[in-house]
Amino acid sequence: MRLLPSLVLLLVLCGALTGCTASTDSADTIRIRWPSDPETLDPLLVSSPQALEVINLLHCSLLTSNPEQLQIVPWLVESLPKISRHDSLTRLTYQLRAEATWDNGQPVLARDVAFTLRVMHCPGLPTEFARAQYGFVQEIELDSADSRRFTLICSSASPDIVLASGDYSILPEYSLDPLGTLRAVPLALLRTDTAEAVRRHPALRAFAARYRQAQLSRHPDRLPGCGPYRLKSWESNRYMVLERKAGWWANRLPKPPPWLQARPEKLAYQIIPDNTTALLALRRGSLDLYPMPTARDFTAMRASADTARLAFYTADSYDMLVVGFNTQRPMLRTAATRRALSLLFNIPDLMQATHQGLAYRSVSLINPHDRLAYQDSLPNLIFSPVEARRQLQLAGWQLRPAGGWWNGKIGPLALRISYHAGATEHETVALQFQAAAARIGVEVQLRPAEAGLLQQQLATGDTDMFIRKTSGNPFAYNFMPLLHTRGIGLINYSRFSQPAADELIEAITAEPSPERHARLLKRFQVLLRRESPLVVLYFTRNRLITTRRVTSVRTLSVRPGYDVLSLQLASAKP
Amino acid sequence: MTSTGLRTKRNWSWHLSLGWLLLLAAAALLADLFSLPTGPDLLRSNAAPLTPGHLLGTDSQGQDVLRGMLYGARTALLVSIPTTLLASALGTALGVAAGYWGNTRLRIPKHWLGSVAVALIFYIFFAAPANSVLAGWWPWCTAGGGLLLSVALSRFSQWRTTVALPVDSLVSAAIVFLAALPRLLLVVLVATAVTPSVTTLVLLLTLTFWVPTARLIRAEVRRIRWLPYLEAAVALGLPAHQILLRHVLPNCWHVVRTAVPLSLAILISLETTLSFLGVGLPPELPSWGRLLAAGRIAPSCWWLIVFPTIALLLTALSLRRLVAAPEPHSRVLQAP
Repeated sequence: MRLLPSLVLLLVLCGALTGCTASTDSADTIRIRWPSDPETLDPLLVSSPQALEVINLLHCSLLTSNPEQLQIVPWLVESLPKISRHDSLTRLTYQLRAEATWDNGQPVLARDVAFTLRVMHCPGLPTEFARAQYGFVQEIELDSADSRRFTLICSSASPDIVLASGDYSILPEYSLDPLGTLRAVPLALLRTDTAEAVRRHPALRAFAARYRQAQLSRHPDRLPGCGPYRLKSWESNRYMVLERKAGWWANRLPKPPPWLQARPEKLAYQIIPDNTTALLALRRGSLDLYPMPTARDFTAMRASADTARLAFYTADSYDMLVVGFNTQRPMLRTAATRRALSLLFNIPDLMQATHQGLAYRSVSLINPHDRLAYQDSLPNLIFSPVEARRQLQLAGWQLRPAGGWWNGKIGPLALRISYHAGATEHETVALQFQAAAARIGVEVQLRPAEAGLLQQQLATGDTDMFIRKTSGNPFAYNFMPLLHTRGIGLINYSRFSQPAADELIEAITAEPSPERHARLLKRFQVLLRRESPLVVLYFTRNRLITTRRVTSVRTLSVRPGYDVLSLQLASAKP
Repeated sequence: MTSTGLRTKRNWSWHLSLGWLLLLAAAALLADLFSLPTGPDLLRSNAAPLTPGHLLGTDSQGQDVLRGMLYGARTALLVSIPTTLLASALGTALGVAAGYWGNTRLRIPKHWLGSVAVALIFYIFFAAPANSVLAGWWPWCTAGGGLLLSVALSRFSQWRTTVALPVDSLVSAAIVFLAALPRLLLVVLVATAVTPSVTTLVLLLTLTFWVPTARLIRAEVRRIRWLPYLEAAVALGLPAHQILLRHVLPNCWHVVRTAVPLSLAILISLETTLSFLGVGLPPELPSWGRLLAAGRIAPSCWWLIVFPTIALLLTALSLRRLVAAPEPHSRVLQAP
């Protein structure tokens, strides 16, 4: 009899534990692997690919991309904007869709767009990135006759601004500022003189305090969106479940295009940091979709007997692995030295070792698939320590009998190469470079660093060389942050600064004609090879493994590498 | 079992353990004599053992596993031996001081304490201008200043009086503090913040690893402190350093001798753990832990797990065996 209470207690405990364990297994749920938590789901503070993926499901922007056809397409708006130019200003006139509504049925209006732009520039909010990204929108003019029509006045003539002008989540004014306190604040004043704006409109400060108190980063449920999904549950570092809205506004469209059709009923993102555990979960059927497995795992799985249960997809991507030189270091100041060192990367073998062939070469930052802009007259970099040695000598370096390369008083040529600690791919590149450099007498010290420390090293220029991943996209070429003088201290980690390059980058950004734009890009690639502040090692391919339970899989060249809206379950397929 | 049988059995395993450790030391010392591939063989990553040119295979970066094993042995010894010696020396010194002097028996003139405190405050809170002549000599300047201050203060009678320094309390507090913190966590936290190198890792491990030795020595010295022969030495008026060196240390030497091989085994494991986690040592330095970490990336490559694990296991067991085995020439074993 004494056993009975213990048994009851054990049963209660088991029941409680089972109840506490959230189940994401469901017949109508597609389970997707994430390597890490999105951390913040505030649409203005997106900091990770995971967060971006979810925000694009919870919220809508004016425009979106159709990555299959590499086109910009209208999302919340009826069509692409009407463009007119006056002097150096560009006017983009948009018309919002009549069907677009918030969850409570209120229409999405032009004043919501104006509100979003004001929030981006609201003092007291950590929206620096959004301000820098969309700061070219100088003013918004609302049409008094049509509450869904508005015009953005932009300070650039570049064709790239079309996408950028509509590439941010629209926030609901009715939820965040029901009294419309920000409506009286001119956007131009917010952009140019924040202090004066706060002095004239004290409501800004109160709004910023309210916005911060809402803690939208961790409580996205407090911010209604007009996207196809709503957040059902989020357990930090464990899982996130999204549920399709029954009455999403796009369902009312007579013939919705693919990007306005949401097929999966439920999406469960399961956070599994370890790759091996994720593979095991996929094999056991606890996962349906595994985006971006390591190239090694992908090829091993594809060659295994799992192909009967699993499907494998690849797509060319715009992600590239880049090695940068700190051009402000005395040792690396001359382009000839940088060009010589570029010859120490054994790119074909590195592609094979790190990606098993799931990568492709490029002579520059432009994807070779962009045939119009790619400079195919430039040869691929060769791996040749002998040639590197010869070019170092031509650059004025001399190998002293005591050891080490010297160029006058500068020397010995010894380099520190920084990369993300734990990134095996980066470490392989660094080790290969170190071994090749050692063959010609150049000492290389590897400096793996944690993310925060690496960021600090790169931003302050406390390194000679670095290895990092860079992402491009098929819609725009903006090299301002990466290689313009104004990008130094931000993400111009090579600290490259040259008046001719700055001029060319500015010309590329401002050029409206596609043909002239492509010619400028080709000139820029030649300049980039000559100056060699960066070496593009290779572009990678997106990889995706799904179970056969998932159908209608569309792989994309841009992140996350698949079209989540098109996914369907085999059992649910009509 | 007869004592002879016991001796034979113990000797056999003891010699085997010693043999393995000597082999390990020879591998570490003579690794350069083998012509092993130095750079990564990118086209033969994850190659299985007996692949031409790679007897024990390669890891996912194309690094030769045999080279990793041999140079890994060197790394293990390079980190663990100096750390063990330094940590044992530090632990012994602090343990002896705490056990012998306790909280009341070490009396220091006030002018010493005052000048040391002032010098330390100056050293910590003030610094010479970076471009001045004093910049490089600042520690010596503060020490010299402290000395002068001490001489000056000693002229006043109230500063010549002595105060008891609570050595035992201070050392015990440090022991409790370090023992309360998880060592691995502490080392990982500090190691991620500093530039990885063998020197910094040795220093870091020394500063966290003196605790077990200090604790054992303190207990032993507290035991022998009141034994008649030590009381007699004190009564004879022998100076403290003579008592410590000639009477205390020789009598607690057996504690150090037992603790050293065990510390060595723990430190080799700790170095492997740190390398496995990718902190502490430069990435180009081969290590058993790195091989194990490579095995985590490629779980199907058994050779990345098996070889370093066997080496690690044999080393730890051998070191423990050396401690556990009775001394071959002790009176007990030599008795018929």
